[in-house]
Amino acid sequence: MIAALGVAELKLLLRNRTAAALAVLMPMAAGLYFALAMDGEETGWTMVVTLQLLFSFGFTVYVTVTTALTARRQDLYLKRLRTGAASDVVVLTGILLPVVLLGLAQAVVLLGISVGAGAPVPARPELLVLAMVGGVALSCAAGVATSGVTGTAELAQITTAPFFFALIVGGLIGSNGAVELPVFLVPGSGLGALVAAAWGGPADQIGPAALSVALWTVAAGALAVRFFRWDPRG
Amino acid sequence: MVAMGETVIDVADLRCRYGDFEAVRGVDFEVRRGELFALLGTNGAGKTTTMETLEGLRAPFGGTVRVLGLDPFRDRAALRARTGIMLQDSGFPADLTAREMVALWGVTSGRRATEDVLARLDLAHRRDVRIKQLSGGERRRLDLALAVLGRPELLFLDEPTTGLDPESRQRTWDVVRGLLAEGTTVVLTTHYLEEAESLAHRLAILHDGLVAVSGALVDVLAAQPARIEFDLPGRLDVSALPMLAGDVVHRPTGRVEVRTGELQDDMAVLLAWAGREGLRLGRIRAHHASLEDVFHSARTGKEVVVA
Repeated sequence: MIAALGVAELKLLLRNRTAAALAVLMPMAAGLYFALAMDGEETGWTMVVTLQLLFSFGFTVYVTVTTALTARRQDLYLKRLRTGAASDVVVLTGILLPVVLLGLAQAVVLLGISVGAGAPVPARPELLVLAMVGGVALSCAAGVATSGVTGTAELAQITTAPFFFALIVGGLIGSNGAVELPVFLVPGSGLGALVAAAWGGPADQIGPAALSVALWTVAAGALAVRFFRWDPRG
Repeated sequence: MVAMGETVIDVADLRCRYGDFEAVRGVDFEVRRGELFALLGTNGAGKTTTMETLEGLRAPFGGTVRVLGLDPFRDRAALRARTGIMLQDSGFPADLTAREMVALWGVTSGRRATEDVLARLDLAHRRDVRIKQLSGGERRRLDLALAVLGRPELLFLDEPTTGLDPESRQRTWDVVRGLLAEGTTVVLTTHYLEEAESLAHRLAILHDGLVAVSGALVDVLAAQPARIEFDLPGRLDVSALPMLAGDVVHRPTGRVEVRTGELQDDMAVLLAWAGREGLRLGRIRAHHASLEDVFHSARTGKEVVVA
């Protein structure tokens, strides 16, 4: 069932030109620009990689999940799916899956572009993987929660803005290396710090950074459970 | 397969709330296997809320609901493969084609397609058209096609013909009659009383969250007085009329209305009298109660339960 729902969702995503452009072209163009703007420099790549990851997860996963779930709810498609045999978890997983795969694929391609453009290979790749997994989980949970407070697909452009910018700003500060503990209260900071640590940044920040990502994911998940709606009429 | 007449849906003292507002305030009825049960009522009477509870989309606030012996809310997963649901709103994603939607539904409904449902609903030629390009009637037919996919034993139809042209409505009725002939149990809500009158075996009319009338269609209709209407020649007063079993009302328009439980007798008396007196009764009309009459009297008050 998850596969069938996922395939249908991928078709819907790609057939809506605006959503597809926002989800695919925008982060790719931005990520490519960041990498090329480095002009072969040796240092400063953690910021570029952080931005690439956050654009992939922020745009492709977070904004797309919010927009897609809101649009499907508006169409009463979510309500229809609940009249089928798929459980609520299966329905959500099916709809999120293509977006998650797209976001991860984009992140991998952009990382490849960065390495091709002169970025060093990460010293601790497992931390990069952790940042990717955590980033996707956080973005999904936040997207489900945000769609709960978003009335129409058009409004998603506004409702997603605060968290999206918090992610980017937090990520930029986090990727800087030495981070004060309170900074980890900003959502993207943990991801930035994990990326920095993957490229040899301070190891004592790995714990707080991972904890920040985990707590933000749990908090977003709790908000998702609280606010997500299947039916526009509540 | 169980024998016809067995209870398929049992609703006892059902109560549903939206916040503080009690939309359904203690509803009882049962639906038996193989019948078409019509749930009627004005907008806001509680039809759709009741339907959604039967469909397992909402938990009741109070009372009990059993569908095929199960709790529709808790045992949703177990019931899905056996029930087809057509919601009031189709809930189609605009950018899938009819064929893709049928394929998706064949997997997610838990009921595999056993026939070409698009052909059955005369949509075969529209297979590869995106749903947003289908007409309203075609969409509603696609909706019905998905509901009947895999031949569920119980079918919920929430206003299946609203907004359809007469031909599409006829086709929907034909499909529903075909399913009934195959033994499917159907619960239907509709605003078209003639639709309920031509399809339903039994019915309940909801008013203000309560059952105002319920029972077998024939009994419900028989319990209502029949009506005779005619124009009395201008110079006459109703006091000139012969003794009738029914109640006589003289409208300001000059039209006389007789509400009677003895249609045939009163007609005979009335026509014999007019013949003797050499009178022409204008625009004479006699008819048994229609569901329309039952519906209107249900809205004006007291509960009528016909076993």
